[in-house]
Amino acid sequence: MALPKDELVEYIYKMVEAAAGKKQLKAKDIEKAVLKEHPDQPRNDVKFAIKELIDGGRCVYTYFGGSFIECPRVEGAAKH
Amino acid sequence: MAERITDIGPPHFSKFLPPVIKENYGKWAYHEILEPGVLKHVSESGAEIYSVRVASPRLITTMFARELCDIADKFCGGHLRFTSRHNVEFLVSDKAQLEPLKAELASRGLPKGGTGHSITNIVHTQGWVHCHTPAIDASGIVKSVMDDLIDYFGTHSLPAQVRISLACCLNMCGAVHCSDIAICGVHRTPPKVQHEKLRHLCEIPTTIASCPTGAIRPHPDKTLKSVTVNVERCMYCGNCYTMCPAMPCFDEEKGGVALLVGGKVSNAKSAPMFSRLAVPYIPNNPPRWPEVVETIRKMLIKYTEGANKYERVGEWIERIGWEKFFEICDIPFTYQHIDDYKFQAYDTYRTSMHFKF
Amino acid sequence: MHKTPLLDQLESGPFPSFVKDLKRMAAKKPQVNDLLGQLERSYKEKITHWKHGGIVGVLGYGSGIIGRYSDLPDEFPGLEHFHTMRINQPSGWYYTSQALRELCDIWDEHGSGVLNMHGATGDLIFLGTRTEELEPCFEKLTAKGWDIGGSGSAMRSPSCCLGMSRCEWSCYDTMEACYQLTQEFQFDLHRPSYPYKYKLKFSGCPNDCVAAVARADMSMIGVWKDDIKIDQAAVQAYAGGELKPEGGATVYDKLDIKADVTDLCPTLCMSWDGKTLKIDNANCNHCMHCINMMPKALKPGNERGCTILLGSHAPILEGAQMSWVIVPFMKMEEPFDELKDLTYKITEWWAEHGKNRERVGELIMRMGMRAFLEAVELPPVPQSVRTPRANPFFFWHQSDFDAEAAGRKYYTTK
Repeated sequence: MALPKDELVEYIYKMVEAAAGKKQLKAKDIEKAVLKEHPDQPRNDVKFAIKELIDGGRCVYTYFGGSFIECPRVEGAAKH
Repeated sequence: MAERITDIGPPHFSKFLPPVIKENYGKWAYHEILEPGVLKHVSESGAEIYSVRVASPRLITTMFARELCDIADKFCGGHLRFTSRHNVEFLVSDKAQLEPLKAELASRGLPKGGTGHSITNIVHTQGWVHCHTPAIDASGIVKSVMDDLIDYFGTHSLPAQVRISLACCLNMCGAVHCSDIAICGVHRTPPKVQHEKLRHLCEIPTTIASCPTGAIRPHPDKTLKSVTVNVERCMYCGNCYTMCPAMPCFDEEKGGVALLVGGKVSNAKSAPMFSRLAVPYIPNNPPRWPEVVETIRKMLIKYTEGANKYERVGEWIERIGWEKFFEICDIPFTYQHIDDYKFQAYDTYRTSMHFKF
Repeated sequence: MHKTPLLDQLESGPFPSFVKDLKRMAAKKPQVNDLLGQLERSYKEKITHWKHGGIVGVLGYGSGIIGRYSDLPDEFPGLEHFHTMRINQPSGWYYTSQALRELCDIWDEHGSGVLNMHGATGDLIFLGTRTEELEPCFEKLTAKGWDIGGSGSAMRSPSCCLGMSRCEWSCYDTMEACYQLTQEFQFDLHRPSYPYKYKLKFSGCPNDCVAAVARADMSMIGVWKDDIKIDQAAVQAYAGGELKPEGGATVYDKLDIKADVTDLCPTLCMSWDGKTLKIDNANCNHCMHCINMMPKALKPGNERGCTILLGSHAPILEGAQMSWVIVPFMKMEEPFDELKDLTYKITEWWAEHGKNRERVGELIMRMGMRAFLEAVELPPVPQSVRTPRANPFFFWHQSDFDAEAAGRKYYTTK
């Protein structure tokens, strides 16, 4: 069953939160994980749920040789 | 707070076109190069636009950019553009402004040229001024090479155009792999794994996956939560360092310059070609890298002496044969010249009797 | 001011000096003084002093800002943060002095005042600012109609040659195509969701002035299908020396039409009897050489469009690739829907199957051209290969047997 939009946002947020420090997730990893559990979820929903998390500042894009979606943290390199 | 504006993209270019270009868009009939650096385009309607091309270091300040604006205001109704090779073009609609513009550019020390059979500006990357993986500087080498070859920038004296590019490491952000002469920064030291740092900063599977030759393995001591590098398989690309900052591959003494030659992107006559390795290593020698400058000049002179009219560097070398190129340019041929990297290597081995002694 | 004895040696010489320029700025901006100080240090030690950062950005975007920190922040406090902002350039890199000054004003206020005109992908690059300046700088930029370009695993800022704006050879409107595709892909440009970068470059003719074949995952190179247009009187003028070879691009006074044009034609499809230039257009491979030689006499034909090539990238990881032909000819007319659709199909297939940092050209090498062509619904065409395979190790799918049963021919005597 496809999730309603606000539930999808929370579902993705929890996924990103759970992955913190273990695996860096790409947007496509998230989409694939959602579709595995909810095969009828429209892809565009996932796209815009990620956008909502990013626009609200709950998640951020990071770049380490590839772009990932993570929970916000302070740049290590900013210190020493 | 006003609503945040996003996703508007760049302004539409029509805002920036000189009126004569707007009126004659898609109607240009032909062009002439009046002198090195001065182009004249003529429309089917007879309308004309003159473009005066000058060199820019690419790495500039707003002070330099504002000077360009002042010049454009004075002679071009405020119209200017930049080229795919980082030159500046002043777009002159009023022919009477051409001579005064040229005089102004000369008085400001902006060299005019970069058209036709010249050496135009060097496409290049950031180097030590702003990059985290470079083996060499970019702007300093560009300045040194262009200072030496400036006569070729301001004349059409070569057999064909010669395009030089520089990339400050193997990542080749400058995509120099199809240039007549490519200057490429090379590291020669495998990454030094900083185990303490790696454990906190890097994801091990991604770090392992980052290595194109499979040289990175999990560290046998599991408690370290780190990796090891099989140094014999490492070709120093620095890819792992980009993924994992705890694996620097820099070395003060071993980094340096490789030179590749004979590439082109144009389809004119011959198909586009990759640049091929000419000199595997020249040590870093800042601030002016004299050995790099001298080697490029030497190859360039041999090319101008040996090439036929309209023959690009790569076409010249293919005609005479690589063995002749190395002989004429007095460059030793080494193990490094023979490709042994993956699927492209075999394509470079000679299976004919078509070579010269 | 930091002492810079090594860099000072780059102030002299005829080519414009970046050191001289930076020094002027250093007098106004302490961070530029530090930039010179750190660069001098690199010149002395032959090593970089920058660290890569991967987190900073503007709200909502995952692109266009590259975090950069000095590894000597105590010595060079102005470089503690020194991030890059990529500003999406206008098509063809045209500016007015007013627009350029506005950009300078914004950058003087919010950053170091150091920039690149332009970066390797095509963006205008602002070099060096602090994290807290990113958002206000972005706000000023958008208020003036500018936006940030691509970086990371995203659609990168497309770029193009100046095309029909000033060139008689352009076979389609590169600047408009570039603009429209840039607009179409704003979401993917600012929100990285691909395996790695995806670059689009638009060249108007096979001379390929923006190096699309070498520097773009997807290369749109202009071409014509019908006959080269000949002005025989102008050919005579080249032969007689009244018109200069290549419009004056050479030191040669006069064009020798046989030696310099027809003999150098790669398909030898031209002849010159001293009076008339003849072209066997059916055998022309559109290399541009003759047109380059005689810009006033020869022109691409009227049936114009582009060839689409796919897959080029610099050597990381599997070795450099040039793009190869996937669509021999596509009409290029506004609103460029066919190209947009194809781009979506390709990026979707690649996003589905590509590994992190795998470019589309590498994915095709890994999965095969057939998987690619079937996924994006393109037919196999001989233009996409230099030669057919030499080995007998080809695969058969059930769909081939089905096609066979339905009457597919492998050869024809017609």
